[in-house]
Amino acid sequence: MPSAVGETAEQSAVKRKRQEIGDKSKKRRKSVGGNDDDNDKLSQIQTLESEILESRKHYNNIVLLIEIAGQKTGDLETPLTAAESLCRVFVQLLASGSLVKKKDVSEKDATVIAWLRERYGAYKEVLLSMLQDKALGFKALTLAMALLKVEAQHLEGKDESTFPQVFFRDIVGALLQSPVEQLRQEFYDTFVAEYDDIRFYTFQGIADFLTDRDHLASEDVRNKVFGMLLRIDDIPGSSEELTDFYIDAPQKKKHPLYSLAQHKKQAQEAWLAFINLGLSKEQRKKILEIMAISIAPWFAKPELFMDFLTDCYNTGGSISLLALSGVFYLIQERNLDYPDFYKKLYSLLDADILHSKYRSRFIRLLDTFLGSSHLPAVLVASFIKRLARLALNAPPSAIAVIIPWFYNLFKKHPLCTFMMHRVPRSKEEKDLIETEGVVDPFLPDELDPMATNALESCLWEIVQLQSHYHPNIATIAKIISEQFTKQSYNLEDFLDHSYGSLLEAEMIKNIRKPPVVEYMIPKKIFTKVGPASVPEEKDSLLVSLWDFESS
Amino acid sequence: MAGSQLKRLKASLKEQGIIGAQKSKKQKRQNAQDLKGTSDKRLQRSEALESIREQFNPFQFKTNARGPKFDVTTLKSANDRTSKGIHGRPGVSKSKGEERRRETLLVEMQRRNKVGGIVDRRFGESDPTMTLEDKMIERFTREQQRGHNKTSMFDLEEDDEEANGELTHLGKALKFGENPSWRDDFNEDDLPSEDDNDGIHPDRKHLKRRRQRGPDDGDEQEEEGQPERKKTTKEIYDEVIAKSKFHKYERQAAKEEDTDLIAEIDKGLPELQALLFQRQKPSVKVADKDKAPVLVAGMNKAVLEKDYDLRVRLLAEDKRAQPAERTQTEDEKIEAEAKRLRELEEKRLKRMRGEAVSDDEEEPSRKGKKESADDDEPAFDPFQSADNDEFGLGKGIKVRPTATELGFDDEDDFLIDDDLVASGSDLEFDESGDDMEDEESGDEQDSESDIEEDDEFVRGLLTEAELKDSIFQAPSKQKGDDQDGIPYTFPCPQTLAQMVETFRSLDVPKVPVAVQRIRALYHPKLDSGNKERLGNFSQALVQYVAFLGDSFEPHWFPTLESLSRHIHSLAKTFPIEVAKAYRAHIEEMEAERPLALTVGDLVILTAIGTIFPTSDHFHQVATPAILSIARFLGQKIPQSLADYAAGTYLSILAIQYQQLSKRYVPELVNFCMNTLCSLAHQKPKTNLGFFPLHEPATGTRIKGGSKTAVRKLSCIDCQQPEEILSDLQQLSLKVALVSTTVAVLKAAAETWCGMPAFFETFQPAMGVFQHLASKANSKHLPAALVNKINDTTTILSRLLNMARLSRRPLELHHHRPQAIKTYIPKFEDSFDPNKHYDPDRERAEGAKLRAEHKRERKGAMRELRKDASFMMRENLRVKKEKDEAYEKKYKRLVAEIQGEEGQASNAYAREKAARQKKNANARERR
Repeated sequence: MPSAVGETAEQSAVKRKRQEIGDKSKKRRKSVGGNDDDNDKLSQIQTLESEILESRKHYNNIVLLIEIAGQKTGDLETPLTAAESLCRVFVQLLASGSLVKKKDVSEKDATVIAWLRERYGAYKEVLLSMLQDKALGFKALTLAMALLKVEAQHLEGKDESTFPQVFFRDIVGALLQSPVEQLRQEFYDTFVAEYDDIRFYTFQGIADFLTDRDHLASEDVRNKVFGMLLRIDDIPGSSEELTDFYIDAPQKKKHPLYSLAQHKKQAQEAWLAFINLGLSKEQRKKILEIMAISIAPWFAKPELFMDFLTDCYNTGGSISLLALSGVFYLIQERNLDYPDFYKKLYSLLDADILHSKYRSRFIRLLDTFLGSSHLPAVLVASFIKRLARLALNAPPSAIAVIIPWFYNLFKKHPLCTFMMHRVPRSKEEKDLIETEGVVDPFLPDELDPMATNALESCLWEIVQLQSHYHPNIATIAKIISEQFTKQSYNLEDFLDHSYGSLLEAEMIKNIRKPPVVEYMIPKKIFTKVGPASVPEEKDSLLVSLWDFESS
Repeated sequence: MAGSQLKRLKASLKEQGIIGAQKSKKQKRQNAQDLKGTSDKRLQRSEALESIREQFNPFQFKTNARGPKFDVTTLKSANDRTSKGIHGRPGVSKSKGEERRRETLLVEMQRRNKVGGIVDRRFGESDPTMTLEDKMIERFTREQQRGHNKTSMFDLEEDDEEANGELTHLGKALKFGENPSWRDDFNEDDLPSEDDNDGIHPDRKHLKRRRQRGPDDGDEQEEEGQPERKKTTKEIYDEVIAKSKFHKYERQAAKEEDTDLIAEIDKGLPELQALLFQRQKPSVKVADKDKAPVLVAGMNKAVLEKDYDLRVRLLAEDKRAQPAERTQTEDEKIEAEAKRLRELEEKRLKRMRGEAVSDDEEEPSRKGKKESADDDEPAFDPFQSADNDEFGLGKGIKVRPTATELGFDDEDDFLIDDDLVASGSDLEFDESGDDMEDEESGDEQDSESDIEEDDEFVRGLLTEAELKDSIFQAPSKQKGDDQDGIPYTFPCPQTLAQMVETFRSLDVPKVPVAVQRIRALYHPKLDSGNKERLGNFSQALVQYVAFLGDSFEPHWFPTLESLSRHIHSLAKTFPIEVAKAYRAHIEEMEAERPLALTVGDLVILTAIGTIFPTSDHFHQVATPAILSIARFLGQKIPQSLADYAAGTYLSILAIQYQQLSKRYVPELVNFCMNTLCSLAHQKPKTNLGFFPLHEPATGTRIKGGSKTAVRKLSCIDCQQPEEILSDLQQLSLKVALVSTTVAVLKAAAETWCGMPAFFETFQPAMGVFQHLASKANSKHLPAALVNKINDTTTILSRLLNMARLSRRPLELHHHRPQAIKTYIPKFEDSFDPNKHYDPDRERAEGAKLRAEHKRERKGAMRELRKDASFMMRENLRVKKEKDEAYEKKYKRLVAEIQGEEGQASNAYAREKAARQKKNANARERR
């Protein structure tokens, strides 16, 4: 891209000159800084601006304005007004073509143009530095983006607009370093979410930003970048959707902006640049959580995640749970072959799974994985039995999901119904059971779901849960001992419950009927039954185990 | 029918009289006379021929393949066409269809690609048959019709327009009917009515009838019939009027007769009344004297009625008139009481099983009570009330000292100290109470009876308390405060703030006395507003108990207990209010501190466990309470020893809640195991079970506690200590925690030992116990505790063994196989095999729609096919015509040409001959 090369060259030139100007401006500041009065300053800015627009003679006022805008005083209004008027000035200049390098101009004019371009560069610098400020940032962002648009149209002096990539990259860089979180949100809401080209170059900017800094980027900056990347989640569905452009659309039909693949490539590069920096645990969790929905679709080659995901999946704990959906995405979309997938899945069913925060998410996935009716019944039975065991120690909200899920599995794998109904075949067998009882043949410590003997076992656990303290759970548990007349239960009705929601469901009902009151008023609640009382009376469990008397 | 077709034809022709033997002259004359007008005769003849033709054409009708159905199988009337098995007349319908096509399709075909869109609406223009008059008439009708169509609903000009359209003559509107001579003499009577033409069948029948009767008498009848019919309508009306007048007269006569009779009976009424009262004489002594004047004044109606009303009131008010409740013997009372207890227990069991019963059962029993006169309710019996104390024991009833024995003759005496009632109101009290009862309607009586029932509890409670607590035996003295400094009168606190204010001056242990006095002072019977006041009071009391619990002191627990008992007895009167208060507390607790319960919350939860039946399958208060307990046990990750203690308290509560119903609480097991594992000196090396383990905070594990004495936990341990506990205190607390938790687990095991998965549930507990008793851990625990653990381990292992032995494979599905739902056959009145009796409405409608669709489709296809063939035919016809015309033309041309040719050749030949002749002549001449 010749324009980019030109601009970088130009910038270096600007930098060189700026130092000289900086020296000058220091001197000037003393003279200008005399007027402290705000109104004076504002009117001064206005006069300066109008003078500039009047004739070329007053171009030097630009320097003054830049200086005012760049002042770091407590006063907010002055630099803002200065920046605004500068913006107007430069927009006018750009529109009139005063900044366009032309070949057939006199040497004098050429120097003026070069000088103006330098000032323009300096002004951009000021704007970018304003982005770091909480109060000035929003205005500066609007100004910068407005300038960007005008620059794209007029700076090169061609008919076609060219995206000022260098300037935009600087904006993105400044934004990523800015401490103002709302500013990035604002940037995303008004520009990135709206315009396809802005999103395209934002990804590019992020990738460049990260590669420039490499591992030097601090944790803080990484978090900011991560936040920015997380926000961009509206993946266009096809190339036809790429129609919203901030800068006028390029005329070439084959321009990368029109290609979905190119968009994806930019996103992928940005993400990869970020992930290559290394992730904290929280970031890793977050990435895994949204992987299948909003990251993987950005990737032209999601296979790049393969190792990352498999590593995460093998880690164990909640990371494993989260990686599951990503792994599943790859299996489903990219034909990833994960050996011993079900074995690994079975090993995820540990004591904590039903208490986990990601329980619903996991059960949804589990439902998909065990949804096939072609799975061996032995395997399905192992999962059922294992979860039934876990249900003995599970919160009611978890029990509420897994039992309807069992029902659905039983419907799908009728062989498993032996776990609910097993009649001894022979007389000897019956006698043996009569005399020795039954030892559960299920092997809880077996790792291979195909070898747990779960199919020979029975679901005593669920029968126990039929007398759960919560009436609704008890009723749900009863479905497995009633006739299986329903086709299937919709799991979504049972997912996403918690103690809070269960309690709320109870509390939301108003009492209309007078509740039943225990007909007997107990003699003692906290105190011990005295020796004089009737011998049939006994201390309640509470009184016998608890000390209510001594201090 | 026998014989050949020809023979049959002949026979039927003969039958119709069309052919036959030569008629005699006389007959002929007669015939000629009968049938005036030859055209009529010919018409008849042609009709007869037509019917014969129809009879002999087998394709004229479409009939049932299997002939007509039997009459018995169909509900359709016998003379219906379909019942004869005739479905349609293909010939007619075919010709009709053909006709219609010719009118529409053919026109369209001919017009196709030829005719534009102009429609000629003129009439008669190209119709030479219409005369000028016809045209005028037609024009007039059209005009009228056009005017008739209202242009708009609100068109007021309409009338004028009509007037404009009217026919006028010399400026005057012409109207038919003004002049009788102009009346339209067009009579429709001789036109055949539409109905007669309907269908061919009646026609034929009519013809047949005529044929049978012979042509002669048909007309005669008609002539006779017509004048008669006209007459009848008039006559009928006359007759109807005459009849109704007659009936009216008859009714009037009957009524008069009745009134006479009633008057006669009325005269005899006094005697009858005397007879009636004769029987009641002994029961109504008061009315005895009145009877004589009644009899004397038998004729005076006003007096009589007044007297009657008086009597009725007397009867209603006289209590002795009703049968008195039989005094029950001691045995009977005990039996009744035992029965009541049994019923209550049965209800509880039903509720525990989750069967929706209580209401339906309570209702009739309550009704029964209501029916038996409410003031004779056993609740009023002071002897009865004493027995109510026996509730908890159920069997082995022992008579308690009754209220009378204790010196209280009346319940009111007991509840209200004399000095509490304002002077002068003593006398009124009973009366006001009675009045209230009298005024109450059915519903209120119902609730009243509840209240009264509950009064027993108050009394019972207090009697009971009386025995043990000296505070309750407050000797009544006529001054503001008693010797304990408790005032006799209180305002009735309505909110917690008021209550705190009221009881501020009192020592907490004296609050129950105050509460008792408030309850007596504001007894619902004393004032109509008291009910509401006490309701609010009970709500405030619940909050007060929680308030006291939060800032508890150990010696307050008897107070809290007696307050809870007060709430319990109030809950019998105000179940909704108390339940709402508890629910509000739980709600607040769950919203603000679900995982950081205070001692007040614990006290409230304990009280809920005693006040409400926790064994119910569902209970408005108990269910949320156990749920919040379980929430704490399940979600709390204990950070400090106080958390462990609170959790342990809740575990005990959870077990106590489930003592009767033995429901399983998974969170309890989890919490206890986690507590034990966290407190053990060493972390268990292997995974002991599927319960979630939380890594304890540092310093939680017991270290070197072998010398510590084992104590019980107390409520102070549940509070976060203000200053950090010393090591020794901590150690003793930890040891107490372990010991209590082990006891809880033991109690849990005993409660749930019948559970089907008991083995799986408590196997991990076994592992934990063994872990605790292992050498590495046991040396940090006191020996007594280790012994206790070992004992529990043996008990548990015995229970586990039993569970293993008693376990059977599951056989949950011995259901009777489900019958396939059948709807048909189902008995159906007036069953018609042609109808569909599908009870599934949707399916039936679907079937109907499908059938209709099929029919329509077939019809449409048939129509299209016929259209196509018609078009083919038409095309063919046109083509043939064209060809024919062409052929004709061709032939004509050929003939013409041939003719011309022939002429030419003739001419030529002639010419030739002439020339030859000429030549010959010339030659000859030469």
